[in-house]
Amino acid sequence: MIITQIKQRRKELDRDKNVYVPHMVLVDKIIEETPTVRTIHFHFKDPELNKEFTFEAGQFAELSIFGVGEATFCISSSPTRNDHWECGINRVGLVTAALHRLGVGAEIGFRGPYGNHFPLDIMAGKNLVFVGGGIGLAPLRSLIWNVLDNRDKYDKIAIIYGARSPGDLCFKYDLDTWEADQSLNTIITVDKGDAMWKGREGFVSEALRDAAPSSRNAVAVVCGPPVMIRSTFPVLEQLGFMPDQVITTLEKRMKCGIGKCGRCNIGNLYVCRDGPVFSYAQIKGFISDEY
Amino acid sequence: MITKKVSKKDIRKLLGTWNQECNVIVPSRVDGVVGMAAWDNQDISFLDWYRNTVIPPKSCFLPKSEVMMSFKKNENGYNLEVPTNEHWQVIFGVRPCDARANAIIDHVFAVTYDDYYYISKRRNTLLVGLSCTNPYDSCFCTSSNIDPTESEYVDLMFTDIGDDFVIEDFTGGGKALLNMSNTLKKVTKADIDKIKEVKAASVSKIKKTVDTENADRKLGSLFNDTDYWERISAKCISCGICTFLCPTCFCFDINDEMIRKQGARYRGWDSCSFRSYTRMPMENPREEKWRRVRQRVCHKFEFFPMNLGINACVGCGRCIRSCPVNWDITQVIAGLPAEAGIKSGK
Repeated sequence: MIITQIKQRRKELDRDKNVYVPHMVLVDKIIEETPTVRTIHFHFKDPELNKEFTFEAGQFAELSIFGVGEATFCISSSPTRNDHWECGINRVGLVTAALHRLGVGAEIGFRGPYGNHFPLDIMAGKNLVFVGGGIGLAPLRSLIWNVLDNRDKYDKIAIIYGARSPGDLCFKYDLDTWEADQSLNTIITVDKGDAMWKGREGFVSEALRDAAPSSRNAVAVVCGPPVMIRSTFPVLEQLGFMPDQVITTLEKRMKCGIGKCGRCNIGNLYVCRDGPVFSYAQIKGFISDEY
Repeated sequence: MITKKVSKKDIRKLLGTWNQECNVIVPSRVDGVVGMAAWDNQDISFLDWYRNTVIPPKSCFLPKSEVMMSFKKNENGYNLEVPTNEHWQVIFGVRPCDARANAIIDHVFAVTYDDYYYISKRRNTLLVGLSCTNPYDSCFCTSSNIDPTESEYVDLMFTDIGDDFVIEDFTGGGKALLNMSNTLKKVTKADIDKIKEVKAASVSKIKKTVDTENADRKLGSLFNDTDYWERISAKCISCGICTFLCPTCFCFDINDEMIRKQGARYRGWDSCSFRSYTRMPMENPREEKWRRVRQRVCHKFEFFPMNLGINACVGCGRCIRSCPVNWDITQVIAGLPAEAGIKSGK
């Protein structure tokens, strides 16, 4: 009858997977990073997914609190450490506030991983410069641990990270480890120190300028608030980095995370689908204007 | 292929036959607004008054709002339930512009990730086109290379030749619909001549035109011309009606609601005209109105062609007819400076 004929005709669309239905994950551990940032560690409720789930550094997920909504977070743990997963959450809105009210054992929704990832294949054998600001360390941290777990594949590594104040530095336990690691050049800076602060003061872009890493055979990976990104790109250019040597990961308001809902575009590129990882060459024409 | 015709007085019978097997959707006035809605199995007066819907047929696949899933909290956690969309529908009276528009947004919803909600409705739908013989002054479909009497995106195409509709069938689904009915008649040589006449006359009724040639290149060179966009957007009041009624606009928002331990996640139309659309806690990339207007124009005529090789404007004219301040996208496209890099005059 008619229905069978139509079914055959529309067979190419007949896939019953519904990507909007989240997987359930359980919160294992909560680390308070700063007064407004916490990291949640979680695993999947479905034991099969715990074994099967993989992702690449730089990819993101939609976390949801049922009844409150969904929001977008990068997965901040390293793909090389797949026993659990982590997301860093800055309390800025409805969903993030709800995520900050959670306790260990809470059940939340997880969709992902979505988006592209950092180009580890291009970075292999090169000098790496990581430039991060504030909560922007979350995606970088996933990449940095991924790189450090395969340390011999890469040449010199510099990590330049800053926050507004000492209290705003995220992942301090990682910063301590990296500072102690002699194979890394780790520079931590804060915009304004306090009485206890013995370290460097000043913006990340200034720390980068002073450190002046060589652009030869190098890749710079930049992630932070837009104001930091905008001030960092010119410094990298002065240091001789070409636009395709500079990689960043962007953040935009998202709903679907899969290129449908429309709002996260920069020009013809969707941050969720074509990104979130972009080379500066890709977004140069739009960066000063829409980001 | 033109094979059959149906007498206008038999339309009720034809729709009635289809309505026994699937939901027949027809142009209807709902709360005073013309859109596509379920047929009452009786009224075919729309044949007299229908020109085009105000709310485009995209609403049959991407409703103004819809429940994506409902959830219930119990002692073992959350229980999610997704509504199913397994009813079959025939949409009668789709205009060629809107048929093209559906085909355009298919790309969005069926690329990389399948959108279950859209596709499960779309795949269960047959489109019956209706030649546009009485277009509005604001229609400019021919500028988007659309013939108001032809479409490759429908299953059946009806054309009014006076007492009868001549029917062209294009797909197996369309043929199946015809096979269900015993009210159809054979077309005659005279009908074929008549339909040619009607088609030519319909095309000539589209008076509004706009040259979209190179619009993408011109827009690309204008992207950073703030003065130009401020001037173009000056009278826009960011009401968003152009985007809600646009048959190719597909943006949506997702939100949750929960009372006690039960709730739902639903989605509804959203619009790039609104500040909140892109607002983030720390900043908003499109806070200023001119950026939002620029986004709409560039998305239709620059970004969409870059990504999919086709303008996301079908020339249905809804945005022009419905705009409370007479903003006209064709004037913007027509007024684009001819050469790349040229600064627009004040």
